[in-house]
Amino acid sequence: MAASEHIVGRGIGNKLILFTVVLVAVIWMLPIAWTLLLSFKPNSELMISTASAFRAPYTLKNYTDIFQSSGVFRWLWNSAVVSVGVTVGILVLSSLAGYGFARAEFKGRDIIFVLVLLGLAVPEQAVIIARHQMFSDLKMHNTYPAIILPGLSSAFGVFLMTQYFKAIPKDIDEAAMLDNASRFKIFWKVLLPLTIPAQATLGIFSFLGAWNDYLWPLISATKPEMFTITVGIASTQTNFAQSEGLGFLMAQAIFAGLPVFVVYLFFQKYIVRAVAGAAIS
Amino acid sequence: MRKLTTALLAGLVVTAGASAALAADKTEISAARFFGACEADYGTVTDVTKANGECGIITALINKFNADSKTTVVKPEIVEWPGYDQLTARIRSGEPPTISVMHEAVISDYSSRGLLEPLDEDFAKAGVDVNDMTDAARQGVTKDGKIYAMPFDTHTWLWHINMNLFKQAGLVDSAGKPILPKSTDELMKQAQQFKDKTGKPYFISTLANETAFYTRTFDTLLYQQNADFFADPNKVNFSSPEAKNAAQLLADIFAKDYTTKNQDYAASVSSFAAGDGGVFICGTWLIDTYDQEAKKEGAALSKGYAATAFPQIYPGSPRVWADGHSWVLLKQDLSEAQRASAIEFMKFLWDNNYEWSRTGHLPVRKSIIDSDAFKNLPHRGDIASLAVNGTALPSAVKRQFSIQEIEGEEVGSAMRGDKPVDQALTDAETRVNELLANAK
Repeated sequence: MAASEHIVGRGIGNKLILFTVVLVAVIWMLPIAWTLLLSFKPNSELMISTASAFRAPYTLKNYTDIFQSSGVFRWLWNSAVVSVGVTVGILVLSSLAGYGFARAEFKGRDIIFVLVLLGLAVPEQAVIIARHQMFSDLKMHNTYPAIILPGLSSAFGVFLMTQYFKAIPKDIDEAAMLDNASRFKIFWKVLLPLTIPAQATLGIFSFLGAWNDYLWPLISATKPEMFTITVGIASTQTNFAQSEGLGFLMAQAIFAGLPVFVVYLFFQKYIVRAVAGAAIS
Repeated sequence: MRKLTTALLAGLVVTAGASAALAADKTEISAARFFGACEADYGTVTDVTKANGECGIITALINKFNADSKTTVVKPEIVEWPGYDQLTARIRSGEPPTISVMHEAVISDYSSRGLLEPLDEDFAKAGVDVNDMTDAARQGVTKDGKIYAMPFDTHTWLWHINMNLFKQAGLVDSAGKPILPKSTDELMKQAQQFKDKTGKPYFISTLANETAFYTRTFDTLLYQQNADFFADPNKVNFSSPEAKNAAQLLADIFAKDYTTKNQDYAASVSSFAAGDGGVFICGTWLIDTYDQEAKKEGAALSKGYAATAFPQIYPGSPRVWADGHSWVLLKQDLSEAQRASAIEFMKFLWDNNYEWSRTGHLPVRKSIIDSDAFKNLPHRGDIASLAVNGTALPSAVKRQFSIQEIEGEEVGSAMRGDKPVDQALTDAETRVNELLANAK
């Protein structure tokens, strides 16, 4: 009797949790659904009232207009190059730095590690003028390296990889050393494969961050042929886009978010693990 | 058949080669602008009369110029409004565009640092009659006695009026014109009358998420009282009785519910079209939009829309806040041909200023203001006075965009009752003067 009551109670509890989760998910989805709905409406109708979103006519013109913009595929390509470049760079540098901080013994290691972590507390805006001047002096603006290089200094990446390497038992290194493996070989062949989950997490966050970045590309990539998709799409907005071109604006938001959505679709397993892992730690 | 095909192909190759050679002979200049991109609708349109809206008309103008000019190709570089962070970054990195759109309020920030080319001599050579510039336009592009830009338009604050609701409120005269207030007392009485008769607020206002309404309306009310709040261009004075009058009036309008509240720009634009209030104080650029609404059967504005200059409610002057778009030539290492091409394009825009005025912005040429073509555009006869009365801040005042932001924040606090009026004005004065003290 007591056991069945317990099961019934657990069933109600589970249903309540499920209901709450679904409710929160629906609330979470509403802005996206609203954005999607508005993106199929003519701008002129939305200017008078967004309530017209719930009735015909609907149109694909807002999306076809995006593709009519001569630079859009070039901007997509630029974003892809920058995002992949930043992601690969961060993975390489953060793994090497993380391994160094976790395994190597050298003078001032802890102080340097703290200095690296301080980077987490410095907002990009605080250094952006100095950074811009530096790249100006190097005459590098409007190039891929100029957009990619600042993104490689990832304090978060170094921290994450350091912690991950530290969590791997040193016995594994010592066993490999007994087999005469070099330090690089231990790093490359033994430890690095064990950090794949962390690499995936870091890679996803780095890719999404680089894809969505706006401020630095805005002032470094100032020629239309070097715009990333975020800067390029923003440039196509009319001055009063929120009233005169609301449907177009929403279509741009959906379009720019699509690649990110695809990344989430394919890598959601890792993202969930990453978030859960962060919560536990 | 094969011979015919060969001949056709050869012809195509020759034609393509000739076109390429012609294009190569032209001098290319870059023109940075906002106003958005609309290649889908206007990418190939060269008949400017067929274009509408800011984006459409500027795109068609550039298309037409490129088609007609034998010496110049303009490459548009479209940036997000207002684009000054990007422009400054480009100047710093040594890669500025040849010319750029610039608000007249911003010109002094760039001209005072030697970043713009003075254009007086170029205009004289090109045959641009600067005496044909309206007072507002000429004041807007002249800094320290030199002309630094080709004015493109003047945009000002005006009253968009729902005549259907005004009729219901008994605020239309026998000639069918809106009865407008001539004093602050009349304004408050009419607002109450409007509210009593229609159950709706007299004003629709953009009070949320931006500061433009507060600053532009407050400046207009100061101008109307002849308050010289920038007698010293390095120091603002908001301690005057006139400033207090203006801020208190806005606070009273808010407190007595004579305006809509918590609406951002998009919401207020829609709200007026939906008939939620009598007067929408906003810019010239909405005239055509609402005029189209007035032509629709069953719409709230159907056959009931008027636009009029900001009514004079203080005895001082009919002046009103104004700014303008203009085109500047960035200082850089330009060849004579590039400079000549830039001036050629500016002259083209000057010659076609009427087309741009179809956006709703006011023309910058007296001859166009006086022309039948302009007067025959909807409502333009009712607002032509704005080209004379439109007033910008003194050209020697630096950081005008930032000043307007601060002013709007503090006047907004006073209007909404977040701060006492005196406190808000003191804070505005202190913050602006701190900004100006550090402005180089």
